[in-house]
Amino acid sequence: MAAITLKNVTKTWGHVSAVSDINLDVPDGEFLVLLGPSGCGKSTLLRMLAGLETVSNGEIHLDDRRVDGLPPSARDMAFVFQSYALYPHMTVRRNITFPLIMRRHRWWFHIPIVGHLAKRAIERSPEVKDLVDRTAKVLALTEMLDRHPRTLSGGQRQRVALGRAMVRQPEVFLMDEPLSNLDAKLRTSMRAEITKLHREVGGTFVYVTHDQVEAMTMGTMIALMRKGVVQQFGRPRDIYTNPANTYVARFIGTPPMNLIKARIEEGQLKVGEAAFALPAHLSGISDEGRAEVLLGLRPESLTISPVGGAGTLAGEVGLVEHIGAESLVSVKLAHAETAHEEEEQEQSGVMATTPGYSELKVGDRIAVGVNLSDAVFFSTRTGERLTAKVPQLETVR
Amino acid sequence: MRSTFNWGHGLRLLAIVSLLAAAAFPIYWMLVTSLTPSADLFADTPHMLPDFSRIEVFEEVFREIPVATWLANSAIVATGTMVLSIALAILPAYTLSRFRFRGKGALGFTLFVTQMLPEAMLVVPLYAIFGQLALLDTLTGLILANTAFTVPVITWILKGAIDGVPIDVEEAARIDGCSRIDIVLSVVIPLVAPTLAAAGVIAFFHGWNEYVFAQTLVSSQSLQTASVGLAGFVGELSTPVHSVMAVGLIYTLPAVALYLVAQRYVVAGMTAGSVKG
Ligand SMILES: Nc1ncnc2c1ncn2[C@@H]1O[C@H](COP(=O)(O)OP(=O)(O)OP(=O)(O)O)[C@@H](O)[C@H]1O
Ligand SMILES: [Mg+2]
Repeated sequence: MAAITLKNVTKTWGHVSAVSDINLDVPDGEFLVLLGPSGCGKSTLLRMLAGLETVSNGEIHLDDRRVDGLPPSARDMAFVFQSYALYPHMTVRRNITFPLIMRRHRWWFHIPIVGHLAKRAIERSPEVKDLVDRTAKVLALTEMLDRHPRTLSGGQRQRVALGRAMVRQPEVFLMDEPLSNLDAKLRTSMRAEITKLHREVGGTFVYVTHDQVEAMTMGTMIALMRKGVVQQFGRPRDIYTNPANTYVARFIGTPPMNLIKARIEEGQLKVGEAAFALPAHLSGISDEGRAEVLLGLRPESLTISPVGGAGTLAGEVGLVEHIGAESLVSVKLAHAETAHEEEEQEQSGVMATTPGYSELKVGDRIAVGVNLSDAVFFSTRTGERLTAKVPQLETVR
Repeated sequence: MRSTFNWGHGLRLLAIVSLLAAAAFPIYWMLVTSLTPSADLFADTPHMLPDFSRIEVFEEVFREIPVATWLANSAIVATGTMVLSIALAILPAYTLSRFRFRGKGALGFTLFVTQMLPEAMLVVPLYAIFGQLALLDTLTGLILANTAFTVPVITWILKGAIDGVPIDVEEAARIDGCSRIDIVLSVVIPLVAPTLAAAGVIAFFHGWNEYVFAQTLVSSQSLQTASVGLAGFVGELSTPVHSVMAVGLIYTLPAVALYLVAQRYVVAGMTAGSVKG
């Protein structure tokens, strides 16, 4: 049982601060994904958890035990590296057994022949051998136990790295982008494997990735980071439906949430020249009395039709991408502006998904229907999500 | 394929064969000379082939000259230099590779500078110091003097190899419960074993071939190394050339043998398979 609590955890290198003032409460048994773009401090945070990096400030607790300050081996956490970091001079079996050997290590194990025999005795002792054999079986490594890492494929090496973490039966598994060196197909299957591992082995997992699909599919909780600051911490579904700010909205989802400049006037939502009735969950919301808001709409809330009408936005097809089961259509709106900051172009279009193979051509004039039932509002000034005065009940649980 | 002669390949082969011949010829010539009677040595038509009927020359030198003692002393000095150099160099090399500390650059540079001092310049001060420490005329003293010369260069060589050990592997070992010294002994040393073998060969040869210190710091006949013994028995009034060559050959062969054994370990790619390259 291990709940992880981070209190004001901060890491600075000289004047650069890689991780600023992070507070997270991760209950036991959760699969937390640290998500964020390159350089946002995910690895640094994970390495501080592991004890590979000192904290500049703040506290890390494992249940009631304060662990920042303890060496890595005293924290009961296993770490899976992006690079696998196997011991190249040891067989797969010895790689997996190594943490168990180190538990019973004595200084004289370094004496050449005697030490060799002692380590082999541990490796062959029934309880160790059983555990290693069972682990190897779970990971389908039984056939490879006597081989060296250099003779294994990337996926097999990754499984050895997982095995080395598993045999320790730790309370916490830490993984730093363990799948990023694998090809897309293997990544999908290893993703399922790690999720299964979490279900079967238990323990608290902290998993670093910059891939939001991995985060959404694997995590039971996600902490989305940017420049060393946690932008949002919650359940994947919450983060998807109720992004805390425009950054989260644009980071999660492929394609990401559309942000359209809109105004609230006389109880109506105006986008360009079109006016919409405000749905119940959005009524009464405003940015401190200002009319301007950013309307956040997931691509699946937009429908494309050839003819316009009330409650639609006129536009022109900018790009069509066929993915197979559905098509992604980028639409340049005629009378409304988007607020997608990260794109290079000054004015990028909104993205809509349509089922099947779309016959639309670039330049087609179309109308975009809008379903506001899942829409959210963001402040044009701060980018924070605007909520009704009565706070919604969506804290983590 | 068959009809066209591959010129690049042929030239490379030729170059390799000539180099090999150039390297091996002196050894061959030592063999031939050692088996040639002194009278025939300066004949107009030199013998090109060894005359194995005179093989007892080798037995003779062992009987008449303390070759065995010389070789044993050389072996002690060389092995001692090798073991001590590596034992003393490994931790500084690890430190230079992995830690940041004040004066690191200066330390590295100083190690280099020691390589620029010629042995001959150090003989006198070393003699004085060794005199005080009662290390004169001992093989221990000789080992220490040689080690002082090999440690800097071996430190640098090992540092280079340790730089190549992925830091992730060390961190994995830390997570698995290794202390620093455990990491060095169970992870770093096995991974730099090829370089360690190469460094060992370098230190061994230094000790084996070294002459200036062996000549000055040791005076007893019974502690003479082969390099000194061999040199001492050239010259005087007459030089028994075939005996010199025989001893020379005996002196060379163990070194060659050691090299052949060691070079099997000097293979690249020890860290392959650890991390995604
Ligand atoms: N040893 C270090 N010294 C100085 N700065 C560092 C050090 N390690 C990391 N940083 C800085 O801290 C910031 C966060 O780095 P970190 O490795 O945690 O990013 P990341 O989120 O893991 O990125 P990626 O997805 O690329 O792995 C970066 O700006 C990086 O330059
Ligand atoms: Mg990283």
